[in-house]
Amino acid sequence: MKFRRDTGAESDTTREEVREMAEALSLYRSAMRHIAEKEAARSRVAEPRPGRSIRFGMLLAPALTAVVAAAVLVPVYSHLHHPTSAPGVVVKTSQAGPADTRANVDDTVLMNQIDSELSEDVPDALRPLADLGNQTTNASSVSEKKNVTQE
Amino acid sequence: MEEIAGNELAIDKREQAMLELADFDEVVRVYRPRILRFLLSSLTDRDAAESLTQECFLKAWSARHQFRGDSSLSTWLTRIAVNLMRDHLRSRSLRFWQKTRGSSLDVMDISDWVPDGRSSPESLTVARDRVAAVWRAVESLSAQQRAVFVLRFVEEMELDEIAGTIGMNLSTVKSHLYRALAIIRERMGGAK
Repeated sequence: MKFRRDTGAESDTTREEVREMAEALSLYRSAMRHIAEKEAARSRVAEPRPGRSIRFGMLLAPALTAVVAAAVLVPVYSHLHHPTSAPGVVVKTSQAGPADTRANVDDTVLMNQIDSELSEDVPDALRPLADLGNQTTNASSVSEKKNVTQE
Repeated sequence: MEEIAGNELAIDKREQAMLELADFDEVVRVYRPRILRFLLSSLTDRDAAESLTQECFLKAWSARHQFRGDSSLSTWLTRIAVNLMRDHLRSRSLRFWQKTRGSSLDVMDISDWVPDGRSSPESLTVARDRVAAVWRAVESLSAQQRAVFVLRFVEEMELDEIAGTIGMNLSTVKSHLYRALAIIRERMGGAK
């Protein structure tokens, strides 16, 4: 009988310990959730700082900007550095060969896509380059005319 | 027939997962608190938890095409977080001299936490003392014991889910959890 009573007391103690432990764990869970919510709120407030937040929808913006810049700069650059090519080759795509035509069409489609996605015009900062390109084109066409006359 | 049904189910799960992943801003919004909570509970370091949470979602974004929907999105993200935490702890142990305790959480951080349904100052104090005792005990656990403990008792994950997330077999998870509870119980007994 004594043995039984001891076992019962022991099991009561164990049960009480387990109950206390379960309660402590539940309290710990609540506390951790509270702290995590507080931290999440704190970091949400801090998000406007550069480099802290990640807007995944914005990840494509730099890439698209680079494509726009490349699409505008490459023709301007090639125009400036190949003055002997036919005048207006950049503007008048119909004068180029079949492969170039296809490339230009692809570029146009791409530009339209990018335009519609970004809703942005060609950067204003590139306009002076375009004007410079026109002047170079005029100058080269004048010199070509001179050459033809001399021949 | 069963095989076809199984395949269709797998395709459905994958499509569901892909659909969920398509709106990644929403994924971040829904799962970020959970990942942050897990890392904060495991590392008890605000800056490290915040930084690893960001990294977790960046990794998930980069690897989103590899996600096959075999597990839930939550489990997949937690698995990434566990791996990042492992790497972090490994690198931290190499830099043992670097004491970056400036952003660490401590028992004082629970001072403004008020447990539900306790209004008397005495019960409030008892509750806070108990949480503090568990807190200190959890800090003394090994990284693996702590991860298993947090996933079970803070995140309330099932044991087989924990096994899948941490990459351990079920009996190892049980063993870690058993040891963790024994340590906490012992510490709490000592704290009384």
